[in-house]
Amino acid sequence: MEIAGQDAELPEIRRRSRYFALVVLVAFGGIAGRLFYLQVVQGDAFFRVTSDSIIHTDLLPAVRGQIRDRKGKVLATVRPSYNVFVTPRLLTADGFARLRTVLGMNGDEAMDVWERIQNGEAVTAQTSSGARVAERPVLLAEDISREAMAAIETGVDLPGVKIVSAPRRSYPYGILAAHVLGFMNEISAEELRAKKGEGYRAGDLVGRTGIERQWDGYLRGRAGFQKIVVDRRDLPKTDIHDIVDGPSAQVAIAGNNVVLTLDVDTQRFTERALRNVSAAGAVVLDVDSGRILAMASKPSFDPNEMSGHLTPEAEQRLLADRYHPLHDKTLAETYYPGSTFKPVSAIAALEDRLITPDDKTKCHGSFEIARRRFKCTKTHLTVNLYDAIVQSCNVYFYELGARPGMMDRLAKYGADLGLGAPTGLGLNGEEGGFLPTEDWYRAQKRENPKAEGFQIGQALNAVIGQGSTRVTLLQMATLYAAIANGGKLWLPQIVERVESPDGQVLEAFAPRVRRELSVAPESLAIVRQALVGVVNEPKGTAFKVRSKDIEVAGKTGTAQVHGRHTENGGYEAGDHAWFVGFAPAGRPRIALAVLVEHGGHGGDVAAPVAMEIIHNYFDTVAPADREAPRLGLPRRHGPRAPAPEPTTAEAEP
Amino acid sequence: MMPTRAVGWRRLRFRFDWTLTLATCAVTTLGLVNLWSAVHDRQASIFSVQVSWLGLGVAVFLGVATLDYRTISRYGYVLHGAGVALLLGVLLFGKMVGGGRRWFELGPFHVQPSELMQLLTSIALGKYLNDSPVLEGRTWRHLAIPVLIVSVPALLIAKQPDFGTAFLLLLIFFTIMLTARLKLKTLAAIVGLATLAAFPIYQHLLHEYQRKRVESFFNPNSEGAYQTRQALNAIGSGRFLGKGFLHGTQIRLRHFPALWTDFPFAVWAEEWGFVGCFAILLAYLILVLWILKIAGDARDRFGATVCVGVAAMLFWHVFINEGMVSGVLPVVGVTLPLVSYGGSSILTTAAALGLVMNVSVRRFSY
Repeated sequence: MEIAGQDAELPEIRRRSRYFALVVLVAFGGIAGRLFYLQVVQGDAFFRVTSDSIIHTDLLPAVRGQIRDRKGKVLATVRPSYNVFVTPRLLTADGFARLRTVLGMNGDEAMDVWERIQNGEAVTAQTSSGARVAERPVLLAEDISREAMAAIETGVDLPGVKIVSAPRRSYPYGILAAHVLGFMNEISAEELRAKKGEGYRAGDLVGRTGIERQWDGYLRGRAGFQKIVVDRRDLPKTDIHDIVDGPSAQVAIAGNNVVLTLDVDTQRFTERALRNVSAAGAVVLDVDSGRILAMASKPSFDPNEMSGHLTPEAEQRLLADRYHPLHDKTLAETYYPGSTFKPVSAIAALEDRLITPDDKTKCHGSFEIARRRFKCTKTHLTVNLYDAIVQSCNVYFYELGARPGMMDRLAKYGADLGLGAPTGLGLNGEEGGFLPTEDWYRAQKRENPKAEGFQIGQALNAVIGQGSTRVTLLQMATLYAAIANGGKLWLPQIVERVESPDGQVLEAFAPRVRRELSVAPESLAIVRQALVGVVNEPKGTAFKVRSKDIEVAGKTGTAQVHGRHTENGGYEAGDHAWFVGFAPAGRPRIALAVLVEHGGHGGDVAAPVAMEIIHNYFDTVAPADREAPRLGLPRRHGPRAPAPEPTTAEAEP
Repeated sequence: MMPTRAVGWRRLRFRFDWTLTLATCAVTTLGLVNLWSAVHDRQASIFSVQVSWLGLGVAVFLGVATLDYRTISRYGYVLHGAGVALLLGVLLFGKMVGGGRRWFELGPFHVQPSELMQLLTSIALGKYLNDSPVLEGRTWRHLAIPVLIVSVPALLIAKQPDFGTAFLLLLIFFTIMLTARLKLKTLAAIVGLATLAAFPIYQHLLHEYQRKRVESFFNPNSEGAYQTRQALNAIGSGRFLGKGFLHGTQIRLRHFPALWTDFPFAVWAEEWGFVGCFAILLAYLILVLWILKIAGDARDRFGATVCVGVAAMLFWHVFINEGMVSGVLPVVGVTLPLVSYGGSSILTTAAALGLVMNVSVRRFSY
């Protein structure tokens, strides 16, 4: 038996076990530190990861609002469509072969799709994040036909094939007003990042152009969701709810309907009036409100196709088209106004008292200044302001242009009339056009010594709407509307009101005056009288298309364009044909601007289009408005000769 | 020696070590609560089996505590020999599971002798150290028998193959030897040699799956790291206060292998958060430190050595298990004492704590 104290080893063991205790303390401290890091420092991050893998969020897409015309006709809506999904693991080669026949896929398409299925590539972003790839349904075909759907549904022996209904944007009128309505496609990754917090999700369609883009926030509504707790096989667990942070479900809120000022009928015959030309634009607006009744750009595209089934070939065709179908020619493109600018020049000269209406100029077919010869359209002999506008005499205006400071006057009055800056409609990347000034030309020279700088020739070009002056159709339509209505320059309006899905008016937009012109009413009256003459005087440039029963006022334009090479090797050199005007002259209701790209003479090509639109409008849409007192022609011409039968453009060679 | 044996029960009654018992009960209770959460919705029968084991554990604890530990000391080598025989038996007749023989199948139960061997090795080492005192520290020449005592079971366990437990046995051995005045110089030499030996062992002796485990530890994205990743998600998502009893989601909703044997701590951490983890760590700490205090107060080298061995056993189990669950150590099948499900682990721990109690109640009897 050992005696206490005799065992020399015991105190040493006690001492050493204290060191061991210290080691234990440090080790446990280390573990506690590690746990503190995991649970407290990184805890929230881990918590998010685990919640995401356990909570499956089902999206409940919102029904997008409709776009309607002023009479309530539906221009854009949502219709049910059916998509085919396949679960790769369950789909057999035989089943795929049958599916392929039903869906009418050609060999190449089928090959692509089959590879995609085999690779388990997730084509849709709406599938569960937790599912393994092979379990995840792959989108095989979108918007299949009713026949295909019936065939698939009756073919009960197609395992792994599922038909899922999905709302699809639809434009019942097809290409009608396509540029105004716009189209939609899938949101890009960058946009998703940029619009974080606005409720956009991967796979969402967003408006790309037109109203669909501009009013996307009103139309899209708010998607709802339902959060489901899933177990390790991704099956729903209904007995666990309390791990979901926040609400576990939210109903989708349908988007609002946007009601346009557009009139489907007016839009339709406006587009029809352009049937014989390849590239053109036309704007029709209400003179008393600035509301747009029709806005057409030709060639057009089918927003149904653009928003869904756009094949690479179709896209290539649209992009390669020499007439740029995707480009909105009414406001995203600028043109030389040509002679349609002359009323602006006239107003500038009248307002600055450079001329009186009776001042006369002798036109010998050209005007010489600084050893350059500026040509007129023909020899007009003695003309006053009225004659110069009616017959579109350039020499009369060259003489004005040669006066000191005329270019800056044009810039000033042009700006007052709404040129040189976007009208404010905002759609489709509206262009502002350009009004040159003398200083601008001088600045050009300072920047580039080879530039001409300001020379009198530029003022002569500017005064007849050439040179560097650029306008949009929409600008010209609002400008002529302001001339017609006695000086109200409207902010053009395309959206009349926004309604809730159940028809309640949420927001109604009243017409807004952009500016009351500072131009004297007398000057406008003089220009109006001259515009009536353009169409109704036998010498007027649009006399050929005059109407017996509707007094139309307007101005033709034949804008010279610098020839340009087109992408496919052709050469576009023809003049742009313009007609801008309003009707009826005595009590103006609508103003319109028509431009036919490389169409030739305005009076021959654009004026007939405009007249057709005007006739249709007062025949079908607003017959009551055609009654108006006639302005008639100036007295000094004596009693009017009985007008010959009006001829139409189609009759012209 | 005879009188002390006769007064076993009385001593136990009067000198009962309440700290040891309460700390043990605390850990056991937390473990049971946790086990219920882990199994209640899939294999509730596991819970009642565990309760039965714990009942048996109490009996083993009291039995071992009552017997005079010097009697146990006397049969130290015999017990060790019996343990080695069991290990041999496992190698020959054990149940083949996952490419290794680690268990006996006794009816519905798996008996894992390698757990018990850790205690038996401590006892044998205690007997050796008790019987051969030295004046100075122990060096190479004092290591022959201890090395024999530990290497035979360690090699047999490694052969199963269960490198985790074999390594654990070595850790316990070094902890005991170091406390029993093994010279630091000698230890340094041994560690040096072991490091040199580690590489060829890793290359040639480890199985493919074992290498994968180690590699997955260093490359957390590999397939084998699945368990660790799930465990980290569960622990981390518990945050400070936890998700609440029976409200853990990771452990319940995700696929989780070896949940109630090797990874019960993940369940605990998810449901009780950092606060709960701290509590359970504290309970273990109190238990281990108390056992070390008993070791220091022991009246002889056997008692002291065995207590150090038990403390080492508990400590290394807790440390390695929590280290692997929290992703700082590779995944090896080391249980969390009194919390993990399993009879071998429970009974071994009960016997070990009974032995400590035995030493504690007899610390003043000379």
